[in-house]
Amino acid sequence: MGDEDDIPMLVGEDDEDETIPELVKVEDKPRVPLTILTGYLGAGKTTLLNYILKEQHNKKIAVILNEFGEGSSMEKSLSIGHEGDLFEEWLELRNGCLCCSVKDKGVKAIENLMRKRGKFDYILLETTGLADPGPIASIFWMDRQLGSDLYLDGIITVLDAKYAEKNLNEKKPEGVVNEAVKQVALADLLIINKTDLVDETQLKAVTDLVSTINGSAHMVYTQRCRIDLNKLLDLHAYDKFDNDLFERSLSTRFFDGASHLDQRVQTVTVEVEGSMSPSSMDYFIDVLLWDRSLTNSAGEPVNIYRMKGIVSMIAESQRFMLQVVQQLYELEPIGYWEIDSPRTCKFVLIGENLEQEKIDDLLRTCVTLSSEFS
Amino acid sequence: STSTKMSANGVAAHCCETPGCNAEAKLQCPTCIKLNIQGSFFCSQNCFKGYWESHKLRHKKPSISDSSTPYNPWPYYAFSGSLRPYPQTTKKEVPPSIGRPDYADDPNGFPHSEQKVRGAANIKCLSDEEKEGMRVACKLAREVLDEGVKVADIGVATDEIDRVVHEAAIERECYPSPLNYHGFPKSCCTSVNEVICHGIPDMRPLQNGDICNIDVTVYHRNFHGDLNETLFIGEVSSIAKNLVKTTWECLQKSIEIVKPGVKYREVGSLIQKHAHSQGFSVVRSYCGHGIHQLFHTAPSVPHYAKNKAVGVMKPGHTFTIEPMISEGTWKDEQWPDNWTAVTADGKLSAQFEETLLVTDTGVEVLTQRRDRNGQPYFMD
Repeated sequence: MGDEDDIPMLVGEDDEDETIPELVKVEDKPRVPLTILTGYLGAGKTTLLNYILKEQHNKKIAVILNEFGEGSSMEKSLSIGHEGDLFEEWLELRNGCLCCSVKDKGVKAIENLMRKRGKFDYILLETTGLADPGPIASIFWMDRQLGSDLYLDGIITVLDAKYAEKNLNEKKPEGVVNEAVKQVALADLLIINKTDLVDETQLKAVTDLVSTINGSAHMVYTQRCRIDLNKLLDLHAYDKFDNDLFERSLSTRFFDGASHLDQRVQTVTVEVEGSMSPSSMDYFIDVLLWDRSLTNSAGEPVNIYRMKGIVSMIAESQRFMLQVVQQLYELEPIGYWEIDSPRTCKFVLIGENLEQEKIDDLLRTCVTLSSEFS
Repeated sequence: STSTKMSANGVAAHCCETPGCNAEAKLQCPTCIKLNIQGSFFCSQNCFKGYWESHKLRHKKPSISDSSTPYNPWPYYAFSGSLRPYPQTTKKEVPPSIGRPDYADDPNGFPHSEQKVRGAANIKCLSDEEKEGMRVACKLAREVLDEGVKVADIGVATDEIDRVVHEAAIERECYPSPLNYHGFPKSCCTSVNEVICHGIPDMRPLQNGDICNIDVTVYHRNFHGDLNETLFIGEVSSIAKNLVKTTWECLQKSIEIVKPGVKYREVGSLIQKHAHSQGFSVVRSYCGHGIHQLFHTAPSVPHYAKNKAVGVMKPGHTFTIEPMISEGTWKDEQWPDNWTAVTADGKLSAQFEETLLVTDTGVEVLTQRRDRNGQPYFMD
């Protein structure tokens, strides 16, 4: 090849800046955020996607429709919006050793494409209307150690203001998940769209219902999905803890109108003074996520969809952030406790059959007060 | 990498690679990045220019050592190491009288029964009857591997090992599980040198100095048994010896901690600690897996530290631990055959595997070698 002998220009991670940059491992390349976009058919997902692609013309955005089905299909199309143009690309879904492979074939296909065509600024994955975003989130929430080029930024759920209540209240047979409820429960951002089609009372009813299910998501009202794009991107829902959101969800309690709802899925927040040990944390996780031995007063088992928290660990000056989706969890250090601040453990939980007192009691058996171990 | 050291605040800093220049290097050669060549740090464009005539040689791939093969299925593929694919023989059959898994007759080898429970993280606790079924299947799997190991030698093609494994399985009323699994063309996996796993047996004769892993899984009366070992072929280098020994030790150490109450995610911590202590790395893309009536199922058992593996060991769980440890980088790549996994830098990788059953107090190694005190073949 003729060009192999041309001396390439070296690349550095910070060529133009005059100020001394933060030391970064040279192998650390910026990862690409992937956002899962879900919501029932007709709620406005496609409108939103088109709007994003049109408005964000200086960014290279990839849009994948209908996630990755099962089966042995070899290819999947992907649209890329860049500088006002939209063009199509193909993801090669290589089959073969799916068996003991840690990374999903969809992830590998996206990474391979980026290797060949350069990185995207954002990836938006639109699910099918009746999708359960939980398993999809699990695929993209990968261990840091895998050094993937992508990371899960968050889940955005679009709701049709006119039909949301009906969809959320729809009775399903025993053991069958109501996807609309799951989509709301797992959202980091809720877009209540088509507000022009409902009156104030209806809008309040939808808001109340949605807040009861998920009291810890950002909520935005739109018409035709017109939204400030800064609200959509860089959610960092899985690698940051939004304290404001937490405080807000703490103050959100039952609404009068919500009592007629047979909502098995709710948000519960707990905050207890004290610190946990590695073994009490293990126990907490085991009971809530894996063994599922905690029940409500009616004996029905607790089923966690999503959980976030800030935890104080015994003999650790760092704060720890807990992130959970379904049965996966991650505990990562995030900043330091202020010297004189009281040590607490606080969690927001979203799931089935949650009762405030039960979670509180469980947590209390897992924490030790500072006075007991200093 | 020798060009990396820790700076005062604990962050890794790189040294310029130009011989004699020891300045701190924050710049990296883009061609090397593109070719997945590790390292290649330089302090400045000028310094780089001066060293260019020598450096550019890194971009050329090592030439085929055995140039007598005209077989070249992927002319544009940049191999990371010196191993090359050889032609494969035709697909073998298994007599219909032997019980087969569902994927055996699927046109794409798709395991529908596995797909049905995919995503469900609840791990099966086997009944006493099922445990017996597993014991038998695993014992037979070990016998079949024994047969394959007996013929592995200098000059013997991996295809021949596969033929022996195939016959040995049939003789024992077993279906060789890899055959047609997701379309895999052969009855076992043979992984030589830089191949991490899933090497496809072909006409390449094993060479003096090779390390070769033979991975056998058999399906007998509705249960799968899975194990593998890495062998020395002829006289191997001392680093190969150390790598293989360390990999085996990683497996042994992780088996030692298996008992009820232990979290699956702890296995990786232990393995990574030991591998790193010897200067080796842990392959992250492939993991151990639950196994019983299904070939691969929950739990997933990564071999690297800080993983999100779900679940706690309970009596009656059956699963494999199968660490893949590499001489250089932990990163892997895949050949265009969609199976063969190789190290990204072309350096060696070794693996060992056993199928385990969690008992009330500890572990039973179902695929345990019964003779020679259970020692691995490379120590024979």
